[in-house]
Amino acid sequence: MEADELLVLVAGGDQKAFEELYGLVSGPVFGLVRRVVRDPAQSEEVSQEVLLELWRSAPRFDPGRGSALSWILTLAHRRAVDRVRSARAATEREQREGQRNHRPAFDQVAEEVEAGLEREWVRRCLDRLTALQRQSVTLAYYDGYTYREVAERLSLPLGTVKTRMRDGLTRLRDCLGGVA
Amino acid sequence: MSVLDRLLGRDLHSLAAPYALDALEGEEKRRFERHLKGCHRCAEEVRALTEDAVRLAWSTAAAPPAALRDRVLTAVRLTPQEQSARDLTRVRAAHQPTRARAPRLRPLFAPLATATAAAALVVAALFAVQVTQARDQLDQERAQAREIAHVLAAPDARATGERDQSGRGIGVVASASERRAVVTLSGLGTPSGGRVHQLWLMRPNENPRSLGLFDGDTPLVADGLDPNSTSLAVTVEPHGGSQQPTTSPVVQLALETVGFGE
Ligand SMILES: [Zn+2]
Repeated sequence: MEADELLVLVAGGDQKAFEELYGLVSGPVFGLVRRVVRDPAQSEEVSQEVLLELWRSAPRFDPGRGSALSWILTLAHRRAVDRVRSARAATEREQREGQRNHRPAFDQVAEEVEAGLEREWVRRCLDRLTALQRQSVTLAYYDGYTYREVAERLSLPLGTVKTRMRDGLTRLRDCLGGVA
Repeated sequence: MSVLDRLLGRDLHSLAAPYALDALEGEEKRRFERHLKGCHRCAEEVRALTEDAVRLAWSTAAAPPAALRDRVLTAVRLTPQEQSARDLTRVRAAHQPTRARAPRLRPLFAPLATATAAAALVVAALFAVQVTQARDQLDQERAQAREIAHVLAAPDARATGERDQSGRGIGVVASASERRAVVTLSGLGTPSGGRVHQLWLMRPNENPRSLGLFDGDTPLVADGLDPNSTSLAVTVEPHGGSQQPTTSPVVQLALETVGFGE
């Protein structure tokens, strides 16, 4: 069964369906959380929260408004970003030191790329963005920075970052749109 | 509409992409969420851009640790799903004791893997609170939910609870290895005259140690429980709490079934 059908059953309290859904989405959820949060133990904790929240809030899922997987990954991303921001706030000094060794986000993405058609596709599509579009999008999505922080890191005006984010996402849509 | 408003409005429209990337925070995020409710154009744009952003997650999938599955599935068995406000009222009503129930105190205990009335009480109270509270408080609630989920997730987490004839009850999910417990009260109401319910840890040959004050229906997370703790007790204390109990307990609960006091 597909994630969308399973999520509807889960919304009705079906624990068996949840087990099956877990099999489908735990990898994407954990991978995304780990990409943003980095720390393995914290990633596991955040993933657990997300998956439990998935069970709890399944009745709120509206199939008319998008796919189950995108609803679930949006939830996961939001929680991961929350966690990485509070961790960052707590270790601001370390963060400043880390910045000196910071490599562009895309290099890290590229470095982690393993086998897999989807990874390859995303990478190829990211390659088609301009450098500023790519950095604006990946610093926010993969590293959890706010657009204000992105602007600061890239020494760009806020308006430019907003536009680059929008154009970057739209260009990704054109490139990845056919794959689903 | 003033020039400023127009500028502000245009400024807000342009935040759809940062919002879709979860790159807004604080007041700016709240302001944009308010704007979204009334701006059809932004709502549509956010929906489309969010789908685009999710594509970036495709490249990140990774196998989660095997233990995560067990913990999540265990927690799922214990956790009720969100319900409408009307359903919640019904759940609460179902928790009220009936005349037919045995008049004696009845301890309930079981490993966490099987849902118990006590654990359900803890979880139901927690999420009932979450549903009824204002949105601004959710962050704080979420932090607490995280702590509670943390206790629930411990491999040795166990649940127990008691409720007396008049419906006054206490429920606890505790982990001896984490030395933590989540405690909920039911049927005690709010003490009059600004007084509070205070939770105490009872240990042999030692003075009771305060574990904190209850805030309405909200579950209390108690840290640093000693392995030799024998019971929990709740007393009514003056505003702000006391150093030591000044009244006799309104409810008390033995901890041996949850791995303490051995
Ligand atoms: Zn708008």
